[in-house]
Amino acid sequence: MKTVELFEPAMCCATGVCGPSVNPELLMITGAFEAMGKVDGVQATRYNLSNNPDTFSQRADILAAMADDTETNLPITVVDGQIVKQGTYPTLEELGHYTGLVFVPADENKGCCGGSGCC
Amino acid sequence: MNTYQPLKEALTHYLFFTGKGGVGKTTVASATAIQLADAGQQVMLVSTDPASNLQDVFETNLSNHPKAIPGVPGLFAANFDPVTAAAAYRESVIGPYRGVLPDSALKNMAEQLSGSCTVEIAAFNEFTNFLTDPEVAQRFDTIIFDTAPTGHALRMLQLPAAWDNYLAENSHGASCLGQLAGLGDKKASYQKAVATLNDPDLTTLMIVTRPQSAALLEASRAAEELAAIGMQHQQLIINGTLTDPMDPPSQAIFAQQQNDLQNMPAVLTTLPQAEIPLRPYNVTGLTNLRLVLQAQQPIKVKRLDHQSENYPDLDVIVADLIQTNKKIIFTMGKGGVGKTTVAVQIAQKLAAQHKTVCLATTDPADHLNFFKLNDPVITVRHIDEPQVLAAYQAEVLNTAKQTLGADEVAYIAEDLRSPCTQEIAVFRAFADIVAQADSDVVVIDTAPTGHTLLLLDSTQSYAKEVQRSTGAVPAAIANLLPRLQDASQTEIIMVTLPEATPVYESLRLDADLNRAHMAHTWWVVNQSLGATNTQHPCLQARAQNEGQWLGKVQAISNGHLAVEPWRPDFETALLQI
Repeated sequence: MKTVELFEPAMCCATGVCGPSVNPELLMITGAFEAMGKVDGVQATRYNLSNNPDTFSQRADILAAMADDTETNLPITVVDGQIVKQGTYPTLEELGHYTGLVFVPADENKGCCGGSGCC
Repeated sequence: MNTYQPLKEALTHYLFFTGKGGVGKTTVASATAIQLADAGQQVMLVSTDPASNLQDVFETNLSNHPKAIPGVPGLFAANFDPVTAAAAYRESVIGPYRGVLPDSALKNMAEQLSGSCTVEIAAFNEFTNFLTDPEVAQRFDTIIFDTAPTGHALRMLQLPAAWDNYLAENSHGASCLGQLAGLGDKKASYQKAVATLNDPDLTTLMIVTRPQSAALLEASRAAEELAAIGMQHQQLIINGTLTDPMDPPSQAIFAQQQNDLQNMPAVLTTLPQAEIPLRPYNVTGLTNLRLVLQAQQPIKVKRLDHQSENYPDLDVIVADLIQTNKKIIFTMGKGGVGKTTVAVQIAQKLAAQHKTVCLATTDPADHLNFFKLNDPVITVRHIDEPQVLAAYQAEVLNTAKQTLGADEVAYIAEDLRSPCTQEIAVFRAFADIVAQADSDVVVIDTAPTGHTLLLLDSTQSYAKEVQRSTGAVPAAIANLLPRLQDASQTEIIMVTLPEATPVYESLRLDADLNRAHMAHTWWVVNQSLGATNTQHPCLQARAQNEGQWLGKVQAISNGHLAVEPWRPDFETALLQI
């Protein structure tokens, strides 16, 4: 079982569609985590400061990594308990590398597992 | 028609006073509350208008908690201010993490909780909590809500159903509600709010109007839209009918009122109606509020000599706008002071000086559509809420479809159905209007103060968010606040009437604009009766009071004011209704 955790800055919602601008990166991350959630053997979870402050406060590793510069140090990606990336979101390639999954573009995977998902 | 007498009506437990700006919602709601309290009831009066005037009416500071009103045993009042509610909500979320999470994390959370969506949810939760609180229901015999002008109030009354539906359909935990914990409880509370609003034995919608076409038209809109979501128990109160016309100005008003009442929209004719005659005194202070709804009125005739000073009219402002080459011009002020009329006149005068003009409104009630506007150099725009929402949703989904598959797009589509998204869409439409470049000048007629304050509040909080945003921020949004703060291109014109309440509301707005460093110089005092030399006691009462308010405006504006006379033919000359 691979565990992927993503610790993000405060957001109105996971897709970011209720902010002043839409961030395509957030749309991509939302899609990727949705897809990973459907795969056996991978547990993918997102936490953001406005929705899950409790989780942040209980994680010594995250508190240490945030230091007092949330803006620079978030988001933080954790794979199986190890921080693998911080300050920017992981790319699809990196997520593939962490989990051993292959992400294929949406229009190439008819009849496979849907979405930007993974086969 | 019957006179409105609250004690003789079978009033329900909850009363909502709504109507166009300036029709006298606060006056009628307050006078009703006082009569009921004087008759021995325990009465709660709540203003949900972000620019509430209740504290002026009762000359006491109010908060979001019930406060006993001095001089009226049994009467309690509160102001539900969205910005205060949002601050309290923010503190309830962040407080527990002080000293636990780093300061920069707390700051990040606070900024995220400053958007228009948080403000709306916080205000709305405060409203539904109060509406559904069994203790409040038991403690008070009558609970009276004095709402913001129609456009804003409609949204508030429609929200319980909107959120209830959203929560019912949402399959992934309503992520857009953020930290609003205990969604199960909230859902029950929203359902109860909807049930309370729609129960004719519990709740009455008291639609207040003036005997004038524009106010009647807006009243009919409120009646229809709120009946459509289930608020069927409605009553119409016609405030300020003039009787005994005796000179040309009063005869002109009388004829206009009778004509407009005879032609009122059909939907209103089916409602129970009551009237409040125009009184020969200004309805301010407890004594007059107690008097205004009494059947017996004192006889008092006071003859006055007017010394009408000569003030410049709108032309002086237009000349300055042209000379200083302003690009973005707003009209702001209380409901009913004539913001739209002033905006239309400025647009027409600029057009006459060979400027191309975009004339726009941010008011969901869209009063621009009442006007005859067919000048080819004037482009008219308004923010059509359903349309801008649909356009924003389509834009986001199209972006998403380029990289994501059907399941993920469906997930995003669900977030986009959150009632919050409408706030964002409207805000973006506002930024687009300010950024327009097709015309030389954009003249923006705003909604009544309360709604506009929230729009400006969003502008400031989004400006902060934009600074740290990594997404592609549209230029219109990135430049919005700097534009509004740039006095070389922007002018916010304050519109008021020569009366206590509109002037006080404008003075507060003036202070807010100063705090936000937004550019404003000019004031317009509209509908001045002083110059008409009327002898009608009711109109004289208004005219005699004008001097002190003109003086106040002259002082605060450093002489940058224009005075527009009251025009009896105003609606027929300018409006197409």
